[in-house]
Amino acid sequence: MQDDRRPDPNELLNELKKSETDSARGKLKIFFGYAAGVGKTYAMLDEAQELRKNGADVLAGYIEPHVRPETLHLLDGIPVLPPKIITYKNIQLKEFDLDAALRKKPAIILVDELAHTNAAGSRNKKRYQDVEELLAAGIDVYTTINVQHIESLNNIVGDITKIAVNETVPDYIFDHADKIKTIDVEPDELLRRFGEGKVYRPDRAAAAMNNFFTKENLRLLREIAMRKAADRISHDNQSGRQASEKSSMSQLLVCVSSSPTSAKLIRWAARMAEAFYVPWAAVYVEDIDQDDLSEEQKKWKHSNIQLAERLGAEIVTLSGLDVAAAIAEYAKLSGITNIVVGKSRTKRWLKPYFEDRLIALLPNIEIHILPDSQAKNSRRENGGRRVKLGFSTADTFKSLAMLVLATGFSFLLKYFNIGDQNYIMVYILAVLVISRITTGHLYGILSSVISVLAFNYFFIDPYYSFSAYTPGYPVTFLIMFLAAIITSTLTTRVKTQAKLAVRREQRTERLYEINRKLLATRGEQNIIDLINEYVVKIFQRSVIFYTDPAGQSRGTLLAVEGEKADFLFKDDEKAVAGWCFLNQKQAGAGTDTLMGAGAFYMPVVSQGKSLGVIGLSCEHGKLSTNSKFFLQLIVAQAAMALERQVLSDAQRKAMVASEKEKMRGNLLRAISHDLRTPLTGILGASSAILENAGALPAEEKRKLLNNIKDDSGWLIRMVENLLSVTRISDGGASLSKTSEAAEEIISEAVSRIRQRFPDANIQVRVPDEVIILPMDGILIEQVLINLMENAVKHNKNNAPITVRALKKSESVRFEVEDYGSGIPAEDLPHLFDGLAGRKNGPDSSRGFGIGLSICKSIIDAHSGEISAENNKNGGATFGFSLPVTAAPSDK
Amino acid sequence: MNKPLILIVEDEGTISHFMASMLASNGYRSVKAESGKEALAMAASYMPDLLLLDLGLPDMDGIEALKALRLWTDKPVIVVSARGHEREKVEALDLGADDYITKPFGTSELLARIRTALRHSQATGAKEAPGAFAVGDLRIDLEKRVVSLSGREVHFTPIEYRLLVLLSRHAGKVLTHDFIIREIWGPYANESQALRVNMANIRRKIEANPAEPRYILTEIGVGYRMAEEYTGC
Repeated sequence: MQDDRRPDPNELLNELKKSETDSARGKLKIFFGYAAGVGKTYAMLDEAQELRKNGADVLAGYIEPHVRPETLHLLDGIPVLPPKIITYKNIQLKEFDLDAALRKKPAIILVDELAHTNAAGSRNKKRYQDVEELLAAGIDVYTTINVQHIESLNNIVGDITKIAVNETVPDYIFDHADKIKTIDVEPDELLRRFGEGKVYRPDRAAAAMNNFFTKENLRLLREIAMRKAADRISHDNQSGRQASEKSSMSQLLVCVSSSPTSAKLIRWAARMAEAFYVPWAAVYVEDIDQDDLSEEQKKWKHSNIQLAERLGAEIVTLSGLDVAAAIAEYAKLSGITNIVVGKSRTKRWLKPYFEDRLIALLPNIEIHILPDSQAKNSRRENGGRRVKLGFSTADTFKSLAMLVLATGFSFLLKYFNIGDQNYIMVYILAVLVISRITTGHLYGILSSVISVLAFNYFFIDPYYSFSAYTPGYPVTFLIMFLAAIITSTLTTRVKTQAKLAVRREQRTERLYEINRKLLATRGEQNIIDLINEYVVKIFQRSVIFYTDPAGQSRGTLLAVEGEKADFLFKDDEKAVAGWCFLNQKQAGAGTDTLMGAGAFYMPVVSQGKSLGVIGLSCEHGKLSTNSKFFLQLIVAQAAMALERQVLSDAQRKAMVASEKEKMRGNLLRAISHDLRTPLTGILGASSAILENAGALPAEEKRKLLNNIKDDSGWLIRMVENLLSVTRISDGGASLSKTSEAAEEIISEAVSRIRQRFPDANIQVRVPDEVIILPMDGILIEQVLINLMENAVKHNKNNAPITVRALKKSESVRFEVEDYGSGIPAEDLPHLFDGLAGRKNGPDSSRGFGIGLSICKSIIDAHSGEISAENNKNGGATFGFSLPVTAAPSDK
Repeated sequence: MNKPLILIVEDEGTISHFMASMLASNGYRSVKAESGKEALAMAASYMPDLLLLDLGLPDMDGIEALKALRLWTDKPVIVVSARGHEREKVEALDLGADDYITKPFGTSELLARIRTALRHSQATGAKEAPGAFAVGDLRIDLEKRVVSLSGREVHFTPIEYRLLVLLSRHAGKVLTHDFIIREIWGPYANESQALRVNMANIRRKIEANPAEPRYILTEIGVGYRMAEEYTGC
């Protein structure tokens, strides 16, 4: 029945507390300075000593070894985590040992130099990622950083000091830190420390002082650092009040291009967004010539987008022919109030400046235009790429053939003397055709030039020379040249546009197809199989899908044909997937985390909950940003489908549970009612005997005792039925099925019925062939007993009752047939739901409804079927069939 | 001969009371114990001829009590258990219980079990191996290895014959599936399917209607029992 072991409330409370502390994130404290040598590490260690003396569990995770001796003295007494030695290109590098720290799980850990880049082969590319993991594990972290390492300030510091700093930390780490402690000394004092060789070794100090540590630089750096710290303080003061309003107030958009100067725009926008506390987005417009981007430009585009992402921007990729129109459209739709663009220096033909177009399109939005110091170079580069310089023999041949054809045709016209003006038309037609059938601009433009020259040479007096007598001809040449060039440019553009449209169409088509199929797919495994199939088809890479990489289950692998992708099943690959699942971030090949993995892993996240991880083999090269983007779209679809599945599963479970609850309630009501009748009988009969011991005649006493016996017998059978229900109450899973011979079960049931009704006329028929099938024998016996008891009760004149077993191809059918009164028609539909016969008075309710409803639950739990029907020649047949799934008969 | 002494181990007063009065009126003496510890102490001091052991005891698992008893006595133990607890019964039988009876039971059923158990314990004491076994129309001549039904010889496969002999040697007593399989096919065998098929075939040879057997009875979820007294029909 009920499980007696009730959970102890204290135990539950403890568990709750534990999970609370587990889920709590650690606190981050940053010691912030404006230059090396201001004393960040010293301050950090000083505070750690203080904590240690107060009994805190402090661990020195990593302290830069070049730290000054007086600072190192402060380490005394604090346990130090040994560094991890990583050998890279024969150099032994000491790195922070993240895994050891996670294993030790101290309360507070000290990790110096937040901006550090880890050696290749570490799990994370950057130390701040290590710190994030520590925080996620609930460990408090103390760390240090200098102002020039903060991403959004990086370019300003670079401008001042003329030294580029590559190691940066995203602003959100700084902004989300729980405490910031600014460490400050006068620049003069710092310079004095330099002079004394306290910061760098003397040989390096001299170089540093000349380049970086000039008094001027230090003063500026100090100001920037102070301002950053002050900004944060004012935020802390305001954020409480404004957090809720911020999204509705305004929005900032920065336009990113594939030029290196965009980085400046992005940083500026990030600072603006931070200052005004507004959300911001970076938009990149994929223009139609995207294919023509040079490798370097692709790289810049990449790094710009990554930079924006690190600085906390939402990344938006649009595509369209007209960049300004696309941005304006997006800005209007998403309620952007401020746009940041770079000033374009070159003006193109007949086209207004980009920013002017933007202003014209968006009169109500503030546009911030920033000067673009390197714009000229990059623009020239951009202009240059418009002409595609690529020779192809076929195209050259086609162009020449067209021009020869045009010249020939013009000669024909000349021969028939059909107007000079038509030659020009013929040549322009030729240029048009050439632009259409060749790739790029080159052939169109070259053909224009050649057309003009050929026209001049062959058809202008003096013939066969490049000079012209008539003064009007240079104008003709010019117009002809321009017309030819414009025609060729337009044609090329139309072609590119068509190509882009086709590609976009394909992509949308694919997504739509996936979406449609997902909608029609039910069941987690089917969804996964579908996603895998599409991913393999689209990316031509082997793919693995985990629903729970932290658990024991293996992922679902689908390899590209002819490829052995078993390596994806390896434990270390699974560990990467596990990391990805837990941290909800991309990991593996081509990312910053665990880049040594053989595959790229992307989490499938829906509403902040990880539903799975998809991994794409990177054996034959890493994924491009475009592919990742597309994969993200597919994964989003998968996440939606999986979540839908999870929800519908939960709903079904809830429905089944409530159905069960309802059934149980019905049963209980029916039982309580039914139990009362025999108990009243027993009580009445026994008290009659007790109270009238002497007066009752022996015959009467015997009758009463018999009544008691019958009623208790009935009660016991009822209880046995109820016990059967508890045996199956957990659903079919708890059934202990064994192979049983059908005839043994039948014979047992019959012998029990015979004990109870010695006069019953029961005939048993079983086939000669031994029928063995899996079942819970006790329960099936109970079903047979209930059916036979029913038959005996409704039988008339001791007519025979037949019990049969029949073997079918996939199942075995058991039947109990009687020649009684049959089943009332109105009861037939409710026979097995415990309600039948309820209206017909107390007697028929006894064991009729409940017995049959129990039979049905037992047969259901065996995945069988139960039914009842009236016979043609009177009486009824109750029957059920059980599947012969496992264990085929020996004979 | 003295009246046999029976120790009733049962914590429910009404049940032990009715058992005691029934035993008394059928020529047995009885003592009652209400807990496992008490039962073990009384078994040692009274040295009863038979124990009726309820498996649901307040202070210890009946199975544990059985194990403790079997360390020093081989007096027959009949386990009293509820329907549906087949695994418990099998465990008790495998641990050396002689028989079991399912609650609720009638007086005649209980008395029959007690009679059988007592007879077996006396027989094993005598250690004589009878040359033949007979019940109803069935006769097994162990020396000639011949089985006959109403005087006519019936043929069996070697395994069927061994099964029949095994059951007849323990007639009246339940043999668990595992025990039979171990005896016939040896340890580590998993021949539950074969056992049922062989049993069905034996029935087809000796029973008038295999679905209403009179010689070999099935105890669902536990095992088989060879009838000791022919009950007729």
